[in-house]
Amino acid sequence: MIPVAFPELAPALPEILLAVGAMALLMFGVFSGDRSSRTVSWLSVLLLILAGIVVAAGGGAERVTFFGAFVSDAFSSFAKMLILLGSVVAVLLGADQNERDGQARFEYPILILLATLGMLMMVSANDLIALYLGLELQSLALYVLAAFRRETVRSTEAGLKYFVLGALSSCMLLYGASLIYGFAGTTSFDVLATTLQQGEPAIGVIFGIVFLAAGLAFKVSAVPFHMWTPDVYEGAPTPVTAFFAVAPKVAAVALFVRVMIEPLGGLVDEWRQIIVFIAIASMVLGAFAAINQTNIKRLMAYSSIGHVGYALVGLAAGTASGVRGVLIYMAIYIFMTAGTFAIILCMRQKDRAVEGIADLAGLSRQRPLLALALAIFMFSMAGIPPLAGFFSKLYVFMAAIEAAREVPILYVLAIVGVLASVVGAYYYLRIVKIMYFDEPTEGFDRTVSGEVHAIIGVSALVTMFFFLYPAPLLTAAATAAAALVKG
Amino acid sequence: MIVQTLAFYLFAGLAVASAFMVIAARNPVHSVLFLILAFVNAAGLFVLLGAEFLAMMLVVVYVGAVAVLFLFVVMMLDINFAELRQGVLQYLPVGGLIGLVLLVELLLVVGTWVAAPGIVASDPTPAPGDLSNTEALGRLLFTKYVYFFQASGMILLVAMVGAIVLTLRSREGVRRQSIARQNARTRADTLEIRKVQSGTGG
Amino acid sequence: MTEGMMTEGFWQGYAWPTIIILAQIMAVVTVVLIAVAYLTFAERKVLAMAQLRKGPNVVGPFGLLQPFADGLKLLTKETIIPAGANPVVFLAAPILTFALALMAWAVIPFGEGAVISDINVGVLYLFAISSLGVYGVIMAGWASNSRYAFLGALRSAAQMVSYEVSIGFVIITVLLCVGSLNLTDIVMAQKTIWFAVPLFPMFVVFFISALAETNRSPFDLPEGESELVAGYFVEYSSMSFALFYLGEYAQMILMSAMTSILFLGGWLPPADIAPFNWIPGPIWFAAKIAACLFVFLWVRATLPRYRYDQLMRLGWKVFLPLSLFWVVATAGVLVAFDWVPK
Repeated sequence: MIPVAFPELAPALPEILLAVGAMALLMFGVFSGDRSSRTVSWLSVLLLILAGIVVAAGGGAERVTFFGAFVSDAFSSFAKMLILLGSVVAVLLGADQNERDGQARFEYPILILLATLGMLMMVSANDLIALYLGLELQSLALYVLAAFRRETVRSTEAGLKYFVLGALSSCMLLYGASLIYGFAGTTSFDVLATTLQQGEPAIGVIFGIVFLAAGLAFKVSAVPFHMWTPDVYEGAPTPVTAFFAVAPKVAAVALFVRVMIEPLGGLVDEWRQIIVFIAIASMVLGAFAAINQTNIKRLMAYSSIGHVGYALVGLAAGTASGVRGVLIYMAIYIFMTAGTFAIILCMRQKDRAVEGIADLAGLSRQRPLLALALAIFMFSMAGIPPLAGFFSKLYVFMAAIEAAREVPILYVLAIVGVLASVVGAYYYLRIVKIMYFDEPTEGFDRTVSGEVHAIIGVSALVTMFFFLYPAPLLTAAATAAAALVKG
Repeated sequence: MIVQTLAFYLFAGLAVASAFMVIAARNPVHSVLFLILAFVNAAGLFVLLGAEFLAMMLVVVYVGAVAVLFLFVVMMLDINFAELRQGVLQYLPVGGLIGLVLLVELLLVVGTWVAAPGIVASDPTPAPGDLSNTEALGRLLFTKYVYFFQASGMILLVAMVGAIVLTLRSREGVRRQSIARQNARTRADTLEIRKVQSGTGG
Repeated sequence: MTEGMMTEGFWQGYAWPTIIILAQIMAVVTVVLIAVAYLTFAERKVLAMAQLRKGPNVVGPFGLLQPFADGLKLLTKETIIPAGANPVVFLAAPILTFALALMAWAVIPFGEGAVISDINVGVLYLFAISSLGVYGVIMAGWASNSRYAFLGALRSAAQMVSYEVSIGFVIITVLLCVGSLNLTDIVMAQKTIWFAVPLFPMFVVFFISALAETNRSPFDLPEGESELVAGYFVEYSSMSFALFYLGEYAQMILMSAMTSILFLGGWLPPADIAPFNWIPGPIWFAAKIAACLFVFLWVRATLPRYRYDQLMRLGWKVFLPLSLFWVVATAGVLVAFDWVPK
């Protein structure tokens, strides 16, 4: 047997760093017990930042390693930066919240690190097996995180529900992947791309794509695979919900985009119908189902379903500008969502967390700055100019309309999107109305730590003043999109 | 050749029959025992394919370890299975429908495979000539598939950490044995010899 | 003519090999069963000696016919199946235990080439068969429908599964030094030095784990007669009991055989020089097995029983890390000095 060259490790350096670091921190935590949870949290943040620096240093050049299973390019680097940012936020929010609830356990940051590792592997996957393994690593860590407050029924229920449905979706994804492998004869994305471009695809491949898309749609919580989202978002501990809403969503959307554009790029006409349906259904459901919610975490769940719908509009376009739109959308979405969840973490009365929307009543008179920040996030999510959320929607709809010259159905998509965001604006603005015009109830505790306030402040500033200097994000997203959509 | 063929039908037949019994058996413990029988027969089929390493691993891992825990859990669970079965009829229509749809899809897919328009021949890794299959497997696993191997390792690590996070409860006030302390104890630490004067009551 | 060739082909191709294999199997099984019979006898004699008694000495010269008398007694008794028991599983359990204990001998090499089936993955086969042994115990404990039996079965299963892990790692260290899973190759690799010398700690771990795996004292909690009457086979009588008994002792002999193959050079003489290499390999092999078995009995006569938490602690907190460390260390040394086989 010919000796095989040792694979190059440099492209996977961020992942290796995270894996080794997570294991080292795990040992540290095990040997020093739960007293070390704060140290472990801060070291995890440091590790995530370090990984971010390595990602940035790696730059946008396309590098493939591990015999074609792993790819690092501008697209993956962009997504990785967003994911790492989301994870940092989640670790910080969790460290603060868990400590005050007497739940400080060092496994929390470790599990977030491991989940992040899975996400980085997902966005760098260049093979169906690598895709599945990354996804599974991420999901498994998330199931545990959802049930992290094991003594409360809601949290364990959320974990169990997420686990059962997640396992089902993994099955569908695997079924699809095996069908694609069976009919295309390979699991490598590069080979799949060339194979699938030749001639009419076999019906098995189409079936495979349907199952694969169903599995991925579950992971991004798009309609009709969204049922788990509200329950899990509501039941999981708030910092974990914040994590769910931010990092895994970016990773899953990025993975979705890569799978559809790269290996299945030749079959864009086949899968576009699926994406268009999913996007329309998600936008509409996200807009209407959120109206009646009284729990703010549940409301955020429906809101995130809606946002995924908007992001998928860009994917449905299937062009470079569409992908750019998706990336910009996810980047801005991260800031708005992280800020909103940090505010939800501040909602504590008499040292207990409250989650009702009605509890926000009159916030503007007691905590004007907090109310202002939340108002900024809500206006931005509703898509009101000149806030960041308006631009994110603008770019995806523009991409859809550009592409609609060839594919008329995208007009429908864009129109439905605009209408849905009008409906969605209602419930976002309702929160603003409650905060500013309703009679105040009991005020919130002022015990929240500086990190949480810093996260709120930074996100609010970014959301507010994005329009002044959008160029870095736009160019980075454009490079990332160009790396994926070639020619 | 005829012996191999007979052995194949023996193993395959037993595997299918015991797989059926897994779902048909009334007693859940019997179900698990049939499951184990199915595993063993599958291992036999692996041997016939010349994959002796996989066969042994199937027995060691699935039969020797996983199924034991399965059996443990099933024996310990105090579930009224007659009650569980009543739910079956209620969900049968929906479940049956989904099963039927999947079956039709599978048939369609297999059907097109037979009809075969536009199917690309798969390109599996060529079988190495002079290596035993344990060695061939090892070489492939630790070179071409090393990334997947490591990734699977991380997944198992997460599973382990998760199981501990969700179930380990450290109870307060438990007195634990410390062997080092026991061994370090000397007679001087624990024994005190007193001369007791007779008649003083102490 | 074609018919004649057919019959000839049938004879050459099937019937003759089948007869040879059956004869080999019969030979091995007979030897093992006689060894088991005399192991029970040896146990009573050794224990007696340790306790300054005489032991069985009435039936036959020096009591040599005692095991056969015991066997005959058990054979003639009535098999009782308890009312609440699950009869099929209840009867299948001892048969399984006994069959597994004999099945493993198919791959054991008694001398160079003296083996029924010289398969590539011999050591894995042995490991697989010994990992199946736990089913006999669990099935017996569950099917008896008795709480003592069930408790004994639970203890035993947990114990066997735990110690199997470190046995697996010990086997891996040996395999690293051999580069093959074939038992004959493993023995031949010890021509220069027995693995018991360079891998001494692993040898000790393996032997102690073998004690635990066969539920022998000081790890005989599953049968702890003072607390569980007799553990998982408390409800068994007559022949079904005898099968358990035979299976357990056959398992002991098997573990001793594995110890000698993995660490004591199998059928090889201690050194390839004049007086030693006159003695044929199988005799050496038997002598090594006997020596190991003597240690089994010696341990039983000497040590008190472990407490259950101590037993688990030893398995998971001492043996597992130790053997894991040795796997890494052995691999590291082999690579560093370029001693990797092949």
